[in-house]
Amino acid sequence: MEETLFWSRLQFAFTLTYHYLFPQLTMGLAWILVFLKWRHLRAGDERYGDAARFWARIFGINFAVGVVTGIPMEFQFGTNWAAFSKFSGNIIGQTLAMEGMFAFFLESAMVGAMVWGEKRLGPRNHFLATLGVAFGSWLSGYFILVTNAFMQHPAGYSVAADGTLRLESFSRFLLNPWVLVMFLHNQCAAVVTGSFVVAAVGAFYALRGTHQKQASLFLKIGTVTGLCASLLVAFPTGDQQAKMVAKHQPVTLAGMEGHFHTSTGVELNIIGQPDMDQQRLDNVIYVPDALSFLAFGHLNASVQGLDAFPKDAWPTNIALLYYAFHIMAGLGTLFILLMVLANFQRWRGRLEQSRGLLWALMLAFPFPYIATTAGWMTAELGRQPWLVYNLFRTSQGVSDVLNGGNVLFTLIGFVGLYFVLGVLYLFMIGREIGHGPQGISLAGQLEVFHG
Amino acid sequence: MVETWYAIVSFMLVMFVVLDGLDMGAGMLSYLVGKTDAERRMVVAAIGPLWSWHEVWLVGFGGTLLVAFPNILAVTFSGFYLALFLLLWALVGRGVSIEVSGRIEDSLWRTGWDFAFVASNILLAILVGAALGNVVRGVPLSSDGKFTVPFFTNFSPHGQVGILDWYTVSVAVFTLVTFAAHGANALVLKTEGPVHERSLRLARFLWKAVILLLAVITVETWQVRSELFSGMIHQPFAWLGLILVFGGLAAVLAGLPGKQEALAVVGSCAFIAGLMIAGAAAVFPIMLHSTLAPEDSLSAYQNAAAGHGLAIALVWWPVALIFSVVYFLFIYKHYTGKVKLSEDTQSPY
Repeated sequence: MEETLFWSRLQFAFTLTYHYLFPQLTMGLAWILVFLKWRHLRAGDERYGDAARFWARIFGINFAVGVVTGIPMEFQFGTNWAAFSKFSGNIIGQTLAMEGMFAFFLESAMVGAMVWGEKRLGPRNHFLATLGVAFGSWLSGYFILVTNAFMQHPAGYSVAADGTLRLESFSRFLLNPWVLVMFLHNQCAAVVTGSFVVAAVGAFYALRGTHQKQASLFLKIGTVTGLCASLLVAFPTGDQQAKMVAKHQPVTLAGMEGHFHTSTGVELNIIGQPDMDQQRLDNVIYVPDALSFLAFGHLNASVQGLDAFPKDAWPTNIALLYYAFHIMAGLGTLFILLMVLANFQRWRGRLEQSRGLLWALMLAFPFPYIATTAGWMTAELGRQPWLVYNLFRTSQGVSDVLNGGNVLFTLIGFVGLYFVLGVLYLFMIGREIGHGPQGISLAGQLEVFHG
Repeated sequence: MVETWYAIVSFMLVMFVVLDGLDMGAGMLSYLVGKTDAERRMVVAAIGPLWSWHEVWLVGFGGTLLVAFPNILAVTFSGFYLALFLLLWALVGRGVSIEVSGRIEDSLWRTGWDFAFVASNILLAILVGAALGNVVRGVPLSSDGKFTVPFFTNFSPHGQVGILDWYTVSVAVFTLVTFAAHGANALVLKTEGPVHERSLRLARFLWKAVILLLAVITVETWQVRSELFSGMIHQPFAWLGLILVFGGLAAVLAGLPGKQEALAVVGSCAFIAGLMIAGAAAVFPIMLHSTLAPEDSLSAYQNAAAGHGLAIALVWWPVALIFSVVYFLFIYKHYTGKVKLSEDTQSPY
């Protein structure tokens, strides 16, 4: 049972982390694509048409991997977390089904036409298909986040006589205050990923001196949206998210910050290592009073430490939670600095000559992925030991007919399959970027097979 | 309410099997109907634009089952643990091979992915068939309302059964052949030239095999669970299913030689849907039959979620369904008629 729980948690964490590498780019690129298509439709400028076709091809590969890695997620609720499904299926099933029915149907119907059907659909309908994909992908994100928000901060439910959950209020469930903040925070982060990837490809072409018109377009789009999204992800959305945690999951906040002892005027730790034996942080660099201010709005506010809570309510892996949160917050700050600098240089008309900065933009694209992964680790590790906060423990949720070996077997299967998938993905994307945005004009799609 | 949700969940599954069965069937025939690379591209293009839309019905099935019958989902999915992951992995292989095979013009690349495409479609059809066979036959549910099931035991469909026995293997073979025939119909409709001719010849042969195997499966089902047939008499939906089965078969047999290609596809959709509707009606209200002790079977009535969650879902579900059909029609109207390689294939560089 212990082993089943451990491997099931690891399998869910692994498959979900891997899966989310793809939708975040999908959601981030989607509105950039809508913008490109819209400019193409309005102005008829082929530069935008080429750019849209190029990014649509990358989107297509990305979307396919997202689909095939996403379907196992829904099934794992039943295979590995049968007790949790039985307990909360009537509630979380609503949003999982709605995600499929409202959002995923829209996205999946439109995406093939968006990637391959420009000639079949004509400009106006092709724009509509692109809009449908963008809307569907964000709606999909919303329903999944409602599900997660329920697990973080249950709302709109009641407990039935047999101990399982019943949906009481559909509106309180769908408009959970937690999800409103989390959705904005998460979607801004996805746009950060999308814009960093666009900027990185632009920087790559600029450094190589190829596709120069597209390079400056990508750099412009990437840095402008990158700056806006990096700012929004920190403030107000990240700030509000942290306040939400401070209010509803105080023990999680204590774990995230490595705040062991309740006190007033609490510092914000920038660097430091949690020492679980001594119950303190080692080698701390901190900003005095800042945590009190950020969490509760004034410098002297008291912040509960871990010692204010019984140990069985502590997040189960405080050190990892602490590092995850600090990596996310630290990277988020660096993103703002990088994008401010890039926009300043672009405003002076010097970005494409600043080779150092272009190198930085080109190599920066993996870091938003790390930041979103660390952010989700913060949310999910912070929720522990609960599967549904204060209602249902993670240890209660696992399927009891499984043995650990079976789960380890499927986990290894996923690791192997996803490794191959990752190599394939990088190869295909590398090929698209190597080929570049020219020569995939509509005429270029013709006459390939008629030899 | 329970009956309605049983119908909705069944509907989602029927849609997945009918639509994705078409993709699986067309895909597994790729090498039989496509002798050149361009011909095989045509097969991929025939299912290309909507394959993921078809697969979403599986997601919708999982979601609606979780809303309405959480315990059934929990018991079934964890009980079929390894087999279900095999299905998921095969879906990964199939989806990826559709998306990447056309992107590089290299004969080794194409051959490799076309092989993966055919193999994963065959595996998927067998797994879906075996799963449906298991639902009809039942699983070794014990008195605690749970089960685990090995891949096979002694191949008998009674008592301590495995996933594969002579009955479920027969259903899997029947499903494989039926999907192939269904996919051949679709290829007849969507292609022209040599692929069209070969698909038509294959379809004529495969539908004869389907009729033969249908007779065999009916007799076998009688052997394994004869009570289902007497139950069907009292289920109007079972009658509807049977009408669809025979109507669909008639449409296929009339459509294929008569060059009414769309009629043949509608017919094969109706045939598969009818079989599943008849099956779903026949087993109702038992959702999971116990091969060990019938009294341990899980019934829809005892396992439906209570409270007004189901009433709420009954409001949004039809709305979502209408939206989905609208999306489908928006795309499909651009893709009627034959595949055009110049417009529908993934262009390599």
